Amino acid sequence: MKLEKRLVLTGRDALKISIFSIIATLVVFSILLIWAGVNPIEAYREIFSYAYDPRFGLGLTIRRGMFLLFATLAFILPLRAGIWNVGVEGQFYLGTVGAFWVGYTLSDLPSETLIPLMLIVGALCGAGFGAITGYLKGKLNVDEIVLAIMLNNIAYWLIHFLIVGGPWMGAAESVSRPLPVSAWAPMIGEVPSTTLIALAISVFLYFLLTKFTVGYQIRTLGSSSAAARYAGMSPLKISLFVMAVGGAIAGLAAYHLWAGDPGFHMIPKPQTYKQQGDLTYYGIVCGLLCVLNPLAAIPTATFISGMTVGSTALIRRLGLGFGIDFTLLGILFLSLAAFQFFYQYRIVRRKKEGEVI
Amino acid sequence: MSRKLQLKGSLAESALEGAKRGETILEMKGITKRFPGVVANDHIDFDIKGGEIHALVGENGAGKTTLMNILYGLLRPDEGEIYIRGKKVDFRSPLDSIEVGIGMVHQHRKLIPAHSALENIILGHPEAGKILNLRRAEAEVKKLCEKYGFKLDLNAKVWQLSAGEKQMVEIVKALYRGAKLLILDEPTSVLTPIETEKLMRALKAMAEDELAIIPFITHKLPIVLEVSDRVTVLRRGKVVACLSTKDATMPSLARSMVGRDVAFKVERVEVQKGGQILEVEDLSALSDKGVPALRGVSFSVRQGEIFGIAGIAGNGQHELAEVLMGLRKVERGKLIFEGKDITNSSILERWRMGIAYIPPERVEVGTVGDFSLVDNLALNYYFEPEFSRRGILDYRKIRERVEDAVSEFGVVCSSTDCEAKTLSGGNLQRLILARAILRRPRLLIANLPTHGLDVGGIEFVCNKLMELKKAMMGIVFISEDLDEIVAMSDRIAPVYEGKFVDIIPAENAKKEDIGAMMAGLRLK
Repeated sequence: MKLEKRLVLTGRDALKISIFSIIATLVVFSILLIWAGVNPIEAYREIFSYAYDPRFGLGLTIRRGMFLLFATLAFILPLRAGIWNVGVEGQFYLGTVGAFWVGYTLSDLPSETLIPLMLIVGALCGAGFGAITGYLKGKLNVDEIVLAIMLNNIAYWLIHFLIVGGPWMGAAESVSRPLPVSAWAPMIGEVPSTTLIALAISVFLYFLLTKFTVGYQIRTLGSSSAAARYAGMSPLKISLFVMAVGGAIAGLAAYHLWAGDPGFHMIPKPQTYKQQGDLTYYGIVCGLLCVLNPLAAIPTATFISGMTVGSTALIRRLGLGFGIDFTLLGILFLSLAAFQFFYQYRIVRRKKEGEVI
Repeated sequence: MSRKLQLKGSLAESALEGAKRGETILEMKGITKRFPGVVANDHIDFDIKGGEIHALVGENGAGKTTLMNILYGLLRPDEGEIYIRGKKVDFRSPLDSIEVGIGMVHQHRKLIPAHSALENIILGHPEAGKILNLRRAEAEVKKLCEKYGFKLDLNAKVWQLSAGEKQMVEIVKALYRGAKLLILDEPTSVLTPIETEKLMRALKAMAEDELAIIPFITHKLPIVLEVSDRVTVLRRGKVVACLSTKDATMPSLARSMVGRDVAFKVERVEVQKGGQILEVEDLSALSDKGVPALRGVSFSVRQGEIFGIAGIAGNGQHELAEVLMGLRKVERGKLIFEGKDITNSSILERWRMGIAYIPPERVEVGTVGDFSLVDNLALNYYFEPEFSRRGILDYRKIRERVEDAVSEFGVVCSSTDCEAKTLSGGNLQRLILARAILRRPRLLIANLPTHGLDVGGIEFVCNKLMELKKAMMGIVFISEDLDEIVAMSDRIAPVYEGKFVDIIPAENAKKEDIGAMMAGLRLK
């Protein structure tokens, strides 16, 4: 057995590596479970049966999975052009502002026009917010991560201003007015129909990146900015494009979440909407895990969502201490990160052991 | 010497310590390394004795770099063994080979630009690990430099140094770490003639001192003959000759490298020149560091003319090429292409108008390493309506074009879907050239198109350029090689410190005069 530098990483290799990292997570977490006096096999059965059972967590798993999918896609596209979109959270907040503004001011419109308008305005707000980063990155080569962190903060406080004592304040303290019923997302069972939009965007981005001339330019800029310039591509236009489209996708996530989850239909109190905003960061994990492939993002986001939902079963059903769910997620993410080592190297087995000292 | 440096720790047990002149210190036996689609090294045997300069020559892609990377521990062979003074070794990383006493100086320099020369030299030294004793290190390094005649300002930052000085830093660094066997990757490729001379003297002095040296060289065969004791020639991953230098001649070496006789001369074609295609007026531009690099250059190029620009690296010719293509901003002056003012046109507009550019940075600028050859070809075509319909790339057309490029220009690759980073430098250059030429541009700016290529590659590129001249293309040809520029150009402009010293018609051009002008001595 020895390590060797990998020359190419195929999609199949990436999948194998991901599966191994998940197995490693389960093994490591078993130690904790045994220490806590729980049979690991039973615990894992509980986790998976809770997350994927239609009677329990399946609805939430898919809803959150699609929310993560929006976040993942909003992260993937800019990174294919070499830009780290850490601003998905802020773009999601801006999408929230856009969608709710339409929902409140045009509440007399019938659902068939109101809902598309909410989606479009939400997407446009997210796109505009993303474009700020895209412009400054493309024009002045400003660090997109620092910029995004500041913008995220601004967007957080914008919503805070609107709902805590602001114009959108609802009956209860620190939550917004509820959305009119006509603005609620049509449901397919427990799942909002915006799921279809998320899936369609995955497919669209896949073709955009592999077949379209724009996608080719994005990939070129992402792989070598010097070569992109030599070939006459405009880094500014490409940065603007990917950040605007990424922002738009993040903006769509807002309608999906607030209007598509029967538990919301409004903007909840700051602590809660911040929790949802924090979830968008799982998009980074998903994006890296599916090696920036928009189609592979679908199962990846659904799986990660299932883990976040299923891990709560440890508390609900097995009565383990609070925080054990995040421990599991933490181990999973660490393991996924650690196994990225094998994107660079692979283990080669030698037949003749004597050859190797 | 190295004992006088009072090195302690692992270096003291360096396996190559105390090797005597003439003793076989290293043997590589049956080394084989395969990469997807190619056998880079095919059962190679190689050995070196103490105090010997053993040149490794071969074309680009012959397997020299792979072999030396294996020796240095950067790569592991699929088959074969390495013996140091008769003892078998297994290098898992360069740490192992450094410990044995092997040092390597890379073609792509691996220094930290913001640190001083001295800091770079002691970086990674076992004794520099905990507490820096800069003063003692400086004294030791100084002694080392004096011994071999390296003139280095140890406190200068690396980014301030010339290419030749950076190389010295790397050599001194390897010696300071106690290297007894030095591998030099293309040591003369970035050096001026004077620097080359100095390096040769230093290498001989080191060999006197019982160090073994393996320089590997693609195209500067005279250097091999001048400096080495033995030569090993590689071709397509195999050893085709291993002989004592005194038995070798230039033609015989070239023949074994390429596998056939090589004409060192280009077949010159003369054509009736056409109309003026490019006019440059009083052009000025800044370098990357923001200082004036190009300072008022005027010239014109006609159809069917090769306009040669001869200069030592760093005299503004690179900036000139970039300004012509729009990759660099014009500070002052005017550019006129086919009667149109293009001073402020974008890069893309220039491609579309019929200007093409061959960049000297094949790997960083000319190609995308992670892309397949198909995607790399698209770099010069994605914007053409013929290849991109309604925003969708027509990969069928692009594939047809890449097949043409590969067959017509003899690009050696396992398939057109392989990644560009698996291609050797010469093959990459063929691809870049093919891509640009198949666009049928009317003006070609070729910036160091033969740089670092092997004899076969240079011959190929030069003959292609001659063909284009025959097809009435206007060509701006930038080169550092005097022979080449005199053989190729219709008019020659030696460039020095951002200005043309003169513009000389080829029939009056004397190599010695141009050489002197490149060095800044004005002759009339």
